[in-house]
Amino acid sequence: MHQDAHEFLNYLLNELVDILEKESQAAKSDHETSPPEKIANGPKIALANGAQKEPLVTWVHKNFQGILPNETRCVRCETVTARDETFFDLSLDIEQNSSITSCLKNFSSTETLNAEDKLFCDKCCSLQEAQKRMKIKKPPHILVIHLKRCKYTEQLGRYKKLSYRVVFPLVLKLSNTVEDADAEYSLFSVVVHVGSGPNHGHYVSLVKSHNHGHYVSLVKSHNHWLFFDDENVEMIDESAVQTFFGSAQEYSSNTDHGYILFYERLAAGSTS
Amino acid sequence: MINNNNNINGSMSPSSTNAQSQGLKTYFKTPEGRYKLHCEKTHPAGLLPFAHGKSITQITLAHLKDKPAQAALPPSSSYSASSGVRFVAAKILGGGGNGGRALSFVGGNGTSKANGGTSRSGSLGGLNGSNSMVNSNFDGKGTYLIFNVGDTLYISDFNSQDKDPIKSIHFSISNPICHAFDSEAKDGHDLLIGLNTGDVYSVSLRQQLQDVGKKLVGAHHYNKDGSINNSRCTSISWIPEHDGAFVVAHADGNLYGYEKCKDGTGDSSFPVIKDQTQFTVAHAKSSKSNPTARWHICQGSINSIAFSTDGKYLATVGRDGYLRVFDYSNEQLICGGKSYYGALLCCAWSADGKYILTGGEDDLVQVWSMEDRKVVAWGEGHNSWVSGVAFDPYWSPPSSEDVGENVVYRFGSVGQDTQLLLWDLAMDEIVVPLRRCPPGGSPTFSNGSQSAHWDSVIPVGTLQPAPSMRDVPKLSPLVAHRVHSEPLSGLSFTQESVLTACQEGHVKFWMRPGQSESQPSNSDALLSSSLKEKTLLPGRVGGSSYKLSNSS
Ligand SMILES: [Zn+2]
Repeated sequence: MHQDAHEFLNYLLNELVDILEKESQAAKSDHETSPPEKIANGPKIALANGAQKEPLVTWVHKNFQGILPNETRCVRCETVTARDETFFDLSLDIEQNSSITSCLKNFSSTETLNAEDKLFCDKCCSLQEAQKRMKIKKPPHILVIHLKRCKYTEQLGRYKKLSYRVVFPLVLKLSNTVEDADAEYSLFSVVVHVGSGPNHGHYVSLVKSHNHGHYVSLVKSHNHWLFFDDENVEMIDESAVQTFFGSAQEYSSNTDHGYILFYERLAAGSTS
Repeated sequence: MINNNNNINGSMSPSSTNAQSQGLKTYFKTPEGRYKLHCEKTHPAGLLPFAHGKSITQITLAHLKDKPAQAALPPSSSYSASSGVRFVAAKILGGGGNGGRALSFVGGNGTSKANGGTSRSGSLGGLNGSNSMVNSNFDGKGTYLIFNVGDTLYISDFNSQDKDPIKSIHFSISNPICHAFDSEAKDGHDLLIGLNTGDVYSVSLRQQLQDVGKKLVGAHHYNKDGSINNSRCTSISWIPEHDGAFVVAHADGNLYGYEKCKDGTGDSSFPVIKDQTQFTVAHAKSSKSNPTARWHICQGSINSIAFSTDGKYLATVGRDGYLRVFDYSNEQLICGGKSYYGALLCCAWSADGKYILTGGEDDLVQVWSMEDRKVVAWGEGHNSWVSGVAFDPYWSPPSSEDVGENVVYRFGSVGQDTQLLLWDLAMDEIVVPLRRCPPGGSPTFSNGSQSAHWDSVIPVGTLQPAPSMRDVPKLSPLVAHRVHSEPLSGLSFTQESVLTACQEGHVKFWMRPGQSESQPSNSDALLSSSLKEKTLLPGRVGGSSYKLSNSS
C-alpha cells in the first residue's frame, strides 16, 4: 500500500536492529576485553562460536522475534526438512467473515507443494511433491499480526483493498505452537487503515494504556483505550474496538479497518 | 417456497435482501434428510430503521393463546393519555452504544392454563396520545416472531409467508437490545424488552398487536432513564416457575431481579460495589422496591443469561470469558469455568438440565456438564466467533439400536462466519484424551495443573481455569451450512423448523426434513402439541430420571 504502515514497521524494526548492531560494534572495538552484553542465547554458544559471528540479540529481537520452522516433507521419501526462520510479524491471508483465530489456523495448516511449486529433495535428488507446514516454534513476546488487506486482482489489473470483516479478540492463544503450554496474548494496540482503496487513505491507531509500575498486574478495568488520529487523541470505550473489524458486505460506508494488531504475551498462569 | 436465488444480479446495496441471498443455497443435508429454506422475515424493504447496525438482532418466539372470554382489554376510549408516571409509551431516552450479542430465546413453554387477559395493564392504561387506535376485533391468537433492528422492535406472524412484519414499534433514540416472552404471564404483561439505556419495559403482546400505532402501549416501565443502572441491557429472561419474576443482565456486570407486581415506590438504591471482581448479592431495603435485588456477577459485560427449564439454575456468560452457574433461589455459585480464551457470547441449557452450551470469541462451541462441573467437549468448526447456541429439543435419534445410557443430543450453533452448524453429542463416544508427557517442553508446567482437568473432582462453588487445548475432547459438526451473508446472531428450534437470524435483522426458517410445504400454516397446532408434551416431562435437574428423547 501507498505509505504502507506494515512496510514502515518492518523498516523501523530493521533499522533499529542495524543501529543497535553498529552501536554494539563500536562499543566492542572500544572495549576489546569486555564483550558486549549478550542476552538470549546464553554464554555457552557465544563462547563456542566466538563473539564475531554471533548475531547480536537486541531488545528488538527480544520483544518481537519469533521462530517459525519452515517444515517440508517429501511425499516420496518422507524426509522432513526443517529450516528455522525468524519473524518480527506474521502476515496473514484473510477471508470474509472470519476471525484471527481462523486466519492463524489457515496459516499453520499443511500446504501441498506440487505442479510448479515442487520441492527439490536432497535425498531423491529431484523435484518432488511435498507438504509444507508453518508451525510457530518460539512464540514472540510481542505478536504482531499483519492482515493482508491489499490484494492484487487479475480482473482489475491492480491492487484492491479487502474490506473483509475479520474479528480479533482482546485475548488470544496460540495453540499450534511447538511449545507445551498454550501461549496467551492480550491485545494492546491496533493500527487502523482508513480509506476504501490501497493507494490512498489514512492511518489511525488505537492504543491501550496501562497503569505501569506497581499496578501492572492489577485488573483491566483500570486500563482504557486511546484513539490516536493525527493530533487528536480521544479516550474510547473498549467496545469501540469492534467497530474496526471490517465490513461483512463488500459495498459499505465503513472504511476503517484493523490492519496491524499488536498482542503482548501474558505470563503463564496469569488470570486475565 | 420462496425462491431465494431469484435476484443474483439484483441491487448491490448492502441493506438489500437481494445481496443477502447471493450464492447461498436454499437447503442443507443432514443424515435425516434435507432442511429447506421455507421463508424469510425481515424489516420492511427499503425502509431501514434508524440506528440500523447499532445493535444486534435477537429473536424471540411468542405463542399467544386464545383470548379469554372476558378479555380485559379496555376499549380505546379509556386509553386517552393518563398521566401515569411509570406507565409511559416509548420514552425518548438518551445515549447510543453498541448492541449486545446475546441471544435469548423464550419460546411459549406453557401449559394450557388459558389466561392471556390483562386486567392490570388495562386499568392502569397506557400513555400513547390521541393517535392511538385500537383494533379490538383482532384477538392476536397465534405464534409470533419478535426481533429488534436498530431503534425498532418488529413483530412478524410466524405462520404467514409474508416477509414483512405486521407490527413495528419505534423507540426513538434508544434501541431495544433484548426481549423475552412468557405465555403464562398472569396479568397479560407477557413481553419484556430491555434497551441500550438500561430501561426495561413489560407489556402485553396482544395489546401491541391490537394497537395500530408505532409506539409501545400500556407499558410498565422499570429502571426509568437508567436511574438504577444506566448501562446497556444485554439479556433478559422470565424466571421459569416464578410467575411475574424476571431478571435483566447489564453491560456493567450486574444483574437485577424484578417482580412485576411491585410498584417500585420504595428505595431502590443499592450499596456501592467495593470489589468489582467479587460476586455479591444486595437486596432492596424496602419490600416494595423494584428491582428487588442486585447481583454483581463479574467485571465487564454479562453477555447472555439462561435459566434451566425448571428455573432452579441460572447460567451467565460474559466478557471475562467465564460461564457461571448459580442456584438462583439460594443465590449461590454452583460451578463455572473459563473459555479457552476471549469473551463468551451465548449460552443455552439442554432440556434435562444436564448440559450447558456456550459459544464465544475462541471460535469454539463448549459443552459443559453439570454433573462433572467441567467442560466435557469442544466443538471445532466455526471460522469466527460463535454467537448463538441451542439444543434441539424436538430431535430424536433415528434408530433405537443403542438404547441405554448413550443419550444422543442434537444441538446447533451459529457464528459470525455466517454459518449454521449442527452437532450430535453422544457422551459415551467422547474420547477423553490420554494423559501425555509433555513433548520436550518444560515438564514442571504440564504435569500439575493441566491434565488435572480430567482427574480431579471439582468442588461445588468453584470456577475452573481455562483448560489446555489438548485436554478437551473435540467434536466435529455434522453439517456446516452458510445460511446468511451477514454474521449470524441467533438460533432457535421449533417443532417443524430451525430459525436463524443475522445481526442485521434477517431471519430465515429452515423446514425440517419430512415437513410438507403446507404444514407451517398448521404450525400453531404443532407447536401447542409439542408444548403440552414438554410440560409432561419431569425435566428437573435434580431428578435425572428423564433422558432427552431417548430413542423412541
Ligand atoms: Zn524425497
